[in-house]
Amino acid sequence: MKQGFTYLFRFLLYLILIAPLLLFAAYAFSTRWFFPQPFPIEWTVGTFQRVVHDSQTLSSMVQGVGIAFLVSVLSLLLALPAARVLGLRKFRGRQLAWLLIFIPSIVPPLAVGMGLNILFLRIGLAGTITGVVLAHIIPTLPYTIFTLSSAFARFDENYEFQALALGASPLQIFLKVTLRMITPSLVVAALFAFLISWSQYLLTLLIGGGQIITLPILLFSAASGGNPATIAALSLLFVAPPVLVLAFTARSLNQHGNEIREQY
Amino acid sequence: MTTVNIISLNKTYPNQSLPVLKDFSLSLNDGEMVALLGPSGMGKSTLLKLITGIERPDSGDIQFDSSSILNVDPNKRGAVLMFQKSYLFPFLNVEDNIGFGLKVQGASSETIHTEVKRMLNLIGLPGIEKRKPGQLSGGEGQRVALARALVTNPKLLLLDEPLSSLDTTVRMNLQEAIRNIQRELGVTTIFVTHDLGEAMAMSDRMALLLNGEIVALDKPENLFHRPRSLAAARFMGVSTFLSGSQLPVKKDVCSSSEKMFAIRPEHIRIQKEACKDSTPGVVSDCVFRGEYIEYQVNINEMIVRARMPMPAPMFTHGEQVYVKFAEEYLFEVEN
Amino acid sequence: MRDKFIFSSWISLAPALTIIMVLLGASLLYAGAESLGYVSVIGQNEISFDAYRAALDLNSEFWVSLGFSLWVSIASTLISSAVALALAVWLSERRGNTDTLALNWNLAFPHLVWSVALLLFLSQSGLFSRWAASLGLISTPAEFPVLVRDRFGIGIILSYLGKEIPFLSITILSVLRSQAVGYDVVAENLGASRWQRLRYVTIPQVMPALIAGALLVFGFIFSSYEVPALLGVGYPKALPALALRFFLDPDLRARSEGMVISLIITLIVLIVAVISLRMGERKE
Repeated sequence: MKQGFTYLFRFLLYLILIAPLLLFAAYAFSTRWFFPQPFPIEWTVGTFQRVVHDSQTLSSMVQGVGIAFLVSVLSLLLALPAARVLGLRKFRGRQLAWLLIFIPSIVPPLAVGMGLNILFLRIGLAGTITGVVLAHIIPTLPYTIFTLSSAFARFDENYEFQALALGASPLQIFLKVTLRMITPSLVVAALFAFLISWSQYLLTLLIGGGQIITLPILLFSAASGGNPATIAALSLLFVAPPVLVLAFTARSLNQHGNEIREQY
Repeated sequence: MTTVNIISLNKTYPNQSLPVLKDFSLSLNDGEMVALLGPSGMGKSTLLKLITGIERPDSGDIQFDSSSILNVDPNKRGAVLMFQKSYLFPFLNVEDNIGFGLKVQGASSETIHTEVKRMLNLIGLPGIEKRKPGQLSGGEGQRVALARALVTNPKLLLLDEPLSSLDTTVRMNLQEAIRNIQRELGVTTIFVTHDLGEAMAMSDRMALLLNGEIVALDKPENLFHRPRSLAAARFMGVSTFLSGSQLPVKKDVCSSSEKMFAIRPEHIRIQKEACKDSTPGVVSDCVFRGEYIEYQVNINEMIVRARMPMPAPMFTHGEQVYVKFAEEYLFEVEN
Repeated sequence: MRDKFIFSSWISLAPALTIIMVLLGASLLYAGAESLGYVSVIGQNEISFDAYRAALDLNSEFWVSLGFSLWVSIASTLISSAVALALAVWLSERRGNTDTLALNWNLAFPHLVWSVALLLFLSQSGLFSRWAASLGLISTPAEFPVLVRDRFGIGIILSYLGKEIPFLSITILSVLRSQAVGYDVVAENLGASRWQRLRYVTIPQVMPALIAGALLVFGFIFSSYEVPALLGVGYPKALPALALRFFLDPDLRARSEGMVISLIITLIVLIVAVISLRMGERKE
């Protein structure tokens, strides 16, 4: 009896977790599903095809991937030296550095976006890819630094000293030893920086100013008054990258999952 | 291969008042293994960092074959390290780990292959090229780490307590293996340890390090039998020190009352009957250790520790005994 | 020698900190200037507190929105904390990683998508309404209760529960599972009943982490825009939605008022975050 309850409870938990996917699929691939039919009767890929082939959808996806890729690479480049120092060294002002890095992860995107909107309008970055990428770095950078610095905190520098004593140059040590040792965290950090940028709505809206249209912006406007099938199809496209990433990184998430949390 | 001269090294870390190394000098002959023995935190690891170039000394010089290496980049010094932990790169297999040093120096893959094979034979683990570090036992890991360090023909091998995390049997095997390989290759070696037995078993000479200074430096057998100073004697396990006036045997020196004499615990006998030059005392402690038995005897409020090989007479706590110091083993120490 | 190849700490931190301070500093500076009426676009270059006065006027919509936002944030935070605590305790008694993996799965659905899903589930023509109708509970969509885009923010709260319960559960679970020795087992051995163990051992153990996490959740909900914009109604609006409406108002003078509200939100969130940080530190 108690065992049965456990299974039932688990089943419900897992059901809630995959329910959105089932729901989107039901709406996106059905047609003429009218109230009060409980389940779709006619299935079609028509709506989905129409949405995917829509030039606006396509360009928004390409733009979104491009921006997210740039954000991810830039965040890693900026985060690596900082995370190394924060993970391995004790130095004067370390607390202050942590605080400065922590702040952008809590200042609401609303405030950041509004302020940057005015600034970027002045210096000509509003409505450009560069502007949006810069804005997205604000939420991704703290996260990347947190993830990588905890990897460095677990990293034993003696591996580097070994390589040094064996004759490796600083660059060789970095490429052949350090990067290899933190690769798992590096991959997780890169993927989630990508996802945070990919799903960013407000910052893209405020900085992109209607020039830069990404999938979340399309989805948001569709959800504010579009038809359910389109909304569901866009949602499926929107969650595809996160779902794939989650499926591939599930194991290592036990370490990192919660650092990503809210940005997203 | 290489003679090493370490000359008057000084090192004080910022934010610390006491120096870690104070006027530290040490010379090693070509192919010699010198053990540095001392309690932890006595500057041994700092010395290794200075030699490898991870840290820089405040003053002094380090020379390989009479030329200073202080301005040589750390990765060009040819001083390799082996730690308590193997630090084998977990993402590389045994072959790539051993070949790492050759590879970063640009050796061809054939050279690497033959050299790795040669090293694996030398350490007695042929055929494990494709294994990952995670699949090796502690002892195997240390052997591979040794091979990795030696494959580049280093000028100087630095061993930083390489055996401290292993069990006794593995440890004994490895002591022997390291010693043999070191002799065979003739590589000059500094061996840092806090284990007296290990230092004596392995080294050509031993240096006792206290508070950043060498208090004694000699062959193990000399240091063991005739340590010159009180500190060195203590280090070598001597615990019985007698001033001249306390000596039961009147040594031929008249002014002996100001001098300090010492005797190893093995050279003190405890017996039931009085005999010539014996001193009466009371047994205050008795520990049976299997191969020998340890006694503490109270002679006029002075505690004497004796160590007698089995079979030995057994005395109980509080028993009246006579202590006899073997005269020929008494030696003088500087206070 | 080592300093030669490992740069001193601050040089390594410089690129990241510069980007953060320039972008964040500039954005807050501009927000501050704008809130003081320093809108150079319309040529007004004098500092004035008009926007603050207008926004904080007792009859302004600000107070209504503040109340609404507080209600939604506090309700969501409290409910998700309680459910997460129960869920985590329940899961911690059952070993295995699959549950944590399952909880992490919620990361696959950003807040925006999760809200869209709720819209399709709960709207009056949504899936649940259709199920209710086919079960004969209702006959027209209008009979289905208004659960999204409702006056009380129920849809918004439900949306946050879906995201924050997994988040807080993982936070609590990681505390419970990090103990090498189960204090729980020790307490049981000393004779504590199941309820006593929960009350005197488990809850005190996870409380600092839970409160720190809950405060972060509160800060996030209080300041986020997408969910209330999608699942809320025109009146009362959540505070961030109100701020953005003012900010995007064609009348440029309203922008200052939007900035004022956004700065107030930021201030509240920062205060809450500092408290949360303190709680988190006490844990160590």
